[in-house]
Amino acid sequence: MTVKVRFFARFRELLGTDILAEPESGTVFASLVKDIAKKNREGYDAIFDGNGNFREFVILMLNGKRLEASDAVTLTVTDGDEIAVFPPVAGG
Amino acid sequence: MLSQRELDRYKRQILLFGEEGQEKLKKSKIFIAGAGGLGCPISIYLAVAGVGTITLADMDVVDQTNLNRQILHYDRDIGKKKTSSAGEKLREINPDIRVKVIDTTIDETNVLSLAGSADGIVDAMDNFPTRYLLNEAAITKNIPLFHGAIRGLYGQATTILPGVTPCLRCIFPSAPPKEVFPVVGVTPGLIGMVQATEVLKYLTHEGRLLTDRLFLWDGLEARAEEICVERNPACPVCGEKNTRKTTTGRKR
Repeated sequence: MTVKVRFFARFRELLGTDILAEPESGTVFASLVKDIAKKNREGYDAIFDGNGNFREFVILMLNGKRLEASDAVTLTVTDGDEIAVFPPVAGG
Repeated sequence: MLSQRELDRYKRQILLFGEEGQEKLKKSKIFIAGAGGLGCPISIYLAVAGVGTITLADMDVVDQTNLNRQILHYDRDIGKKKTSSAGEKLREINPDIRVKVIDTTIDETNVLSLAGSADGIVDAMDNFPTRYLLNEAAITKNIPLFHGAIRGLYGQATTILPGVTPCLRCIFPSAPPKEVFPVVGVTPGLIGMVQATEVLKYLTHEGRLLTDRLFLWDGLEARAEEICVERNPACPVCGEKNTRKTTTGRKR
């Protein structure tokens, strides 16, 4: 199956965007993002904390709907899903 | 009533909003929190558009490192209070409006009185803790909040109508880490214009507001996107438990 993973802003700089992943069936949302993020240490560290959990401020979306980090560790992705991961910006 | 001078000054936008719309702008009061990268372009454009009363709050002094983006402050203003520098320019830009400047740090003790009886609060802050205070004041006083934030060539904006749309806490439950953020003036210019456009639309009742959507701008890719955002029923600021009632007893 194919899942599209989109990173935004700083995450995009570090990890690229519009990544077409082909996870095995039963793959959990958080694991998929983690696998992709692992290709760049800085990118991984920007998104995940030392325990491998999504950093608190990271915003996760699945098919245009907000997904809580607590659900991202149990929810499995399905073919055609579109995932978005982005950091809010804070400057002004 | 609009004076002949005002009718002339606003002639080209009266074609858009009508005299009635222009009157609405004249009667409106907008509170802009911050006279920095976002606050400068926003206040300039709301001033030239004829928003009748603009209140601008900031605690900072103009520094050389501000000048790449804070376009109300000039080289000669270095060392001057941002409020005084901004107030001076805005009054020259449009003498037909009232400009109030307040030299203060926005905190929990003064945020409600700063918001006062404004018709809208513009978030031109550079940090989330103060943004959360503005959000709480907006929810408490039922005043729309026009959010914008930037970093580098990235920006985001949304319009918050208390009790109707998600609030800032619903959208961003946790603040991103503090940092000295990179920035080039064009980004707050662009995001500030999204916010200022929203203010004008809201005040004149024109168009469709940027509500329930988070506008995301990626200047590096030259891509604008939006994502849908929803209210969080458990939001500590605007959630069900905290939904206050209007004076008529109906939920907003």
